[in-house]
Amino acid sequence: MARADPPPPPPAAFERRVLRSAAEHHYLRVRLELPDGGARPSAAQFKQLVVTALRELHGEVGAALPVDVLTYEEKTLSAILRVTSSGLVKLWSALTLLGFYQNRRCAFRVLQTSPFLLALSGNSRELVLD
Amino acid sequence: MRMSVPLRRLRQAPRHLLVCEKSHARHARSRHAAHVRDHAYNCRVSFLIPECGTLPEVLKSTIADVGEYYLLRNLSLHELVTHEFIDTFVKKGSCHALTYNTKIDQDNTAALLPTGKLILSVDKDTYEELGLQGRPSQYSGKKVMRYIITIDLMDPSFHPDSKKHKRVLWALKEKKPLEFDFLLAWCNTGAEGSTLMSYFPKNQIQTLKPKITFSTLRDLQCPVLQSNELQGKPEESCSTEELFEWLGAVLNQVSLDNKSFSFLSTYCCPQPNTIVEQAFLCTITGFIIPEAIIQLLEKLCCYFDEPKLAHWLTLTVHGFADSPVSWRESEHGFHKGGENLYNFVVFRNLDYWLQMAVGTNDDCPP
Repeated sequence: MARADPPPPPPAAFERRVLRSAAEHHYLRVRLELPDGGARPSAAQFKQLVVTALRELHGEVGAALPVDVLTYEEKTLSAILRVTSSGLVKLWSALTLLGFYQNRRCAFRVLQTSPFLLALSGNSRELVLD
Repeated sequence: MRMSVPLRRLRQAPRHLLVCEKSHARHARSRHAAHVRDHAYNCRVSFLIPECGTLPEVLKSTIADVGEYYLLRNLSLHELVTHEFIDTFVKKGSCHALTYNTKIDQDNTAALLPTGKLILSVDKDTYEELGLQGRPSQYSGKKVMRYIITIDLMDPSFHPDSKKHKRVLWALKEKKPLEFDFLLAWCNTGAEGSTLMSYFPKNQIQTLKPKITFSTLRDLQCPVLQSNELQGKPEESCSTEELFEWLGAVLNQVSLDNKSFSFLSTYCCPQPNTIVEQAFLCTITGFIIPEAIIQLLEKLCCYFDEPKLAHWLTLTVHGFADSPVSWRESEHGFHKGGENLYNFVVFRNLDYWLQMAVGTNDDCPP
């Protein structure tokens, strides 16, 4: 015998919540620039490089900052990083000041940053029309 | 010891707002369509339907109906305030125009709203040379470096012989000629009348079609949601912020099944969640007018007319980072990201959640 469905709940009443500067994390879309040729870092090496950058500028406490490599593409050396909001300035400064990867010159370019991961999936500044 | 002020600032993230609303799509007083209409400039629309393998025909044709738009190269700004243009386009339909490849934190920018308001966001030097009345930008701090000028093209006192019109035309034509590349879209209710293509010279205007991509995501972890619980309930459903981050992860192709101890990333799908066999993702990129988005949202609501496996679907809309307005005429600026976006979660029973997110240089969404 078919079980009787429970009565559907009433339609949702209007409710509005405003969250002010409440984002737990910030997200950065970055690209690593390396001279042509030579080995490209794997995902784990890339994460290690980020941690090294943090250690160089902010010491062991900086190196302990929780940073997630959400995506990493070895071909383009681009990645999306996630960091707790209070650590955004630390991470950004550490990436900016990093100059070497395995004794080769390198530079991090921060392409986009936002408290909303969703915002990184549509950047109008990279809109290419044809 | 108290932390010194500069050090404390280092730990502060820039201001941002996320507004979450819930209501029902068939409520007489529901404002969902108004919120879409008020957000004039949109560069990307994506929708995600769980448990959907192929798109219903009606949605396919709605996507195909998302109109063309135009790219106008090197348009002198005074051409938008001539009475010929106002009478042919601005007064006879809804006309959207936004400068293309201009950065609002360094360049001059202009936008024509469908209400007939022309909004210029200009630096201090340009403002002084133009000699038109405006106001300092809300986000310029102590030393004003940017001004906003609003010209109402539909104002009855803005007729061809008025002093006001003559002055605006003179300022933009002779005093300080401004030239931009523009994105333009126009939709009119009547069928007759001239078109933008025939109005502007052929070598200046180019028709563009929105870019559409489809993909099917396999074995996707989806959060469990309850339409009545914006904040979620432990063990029962996820909150609106969790959904917002999860959707960002899905659209950015972030892997969802990490462990809390993994080295690379500890992000995982919020709990509780279910695995859906397949989900359909469609992304439309271009200069998309609100009317098209309202159509699409309506058709997505109709998706649930017939019984479906999906409990909810989402519709995400990204605004332009460099538009001078976000919703209505609220001033928008680019601080660190220029984000202004919104997302609908439409539930099976047509309850919906609307999430509106803005960055530092923005008013609270409506």
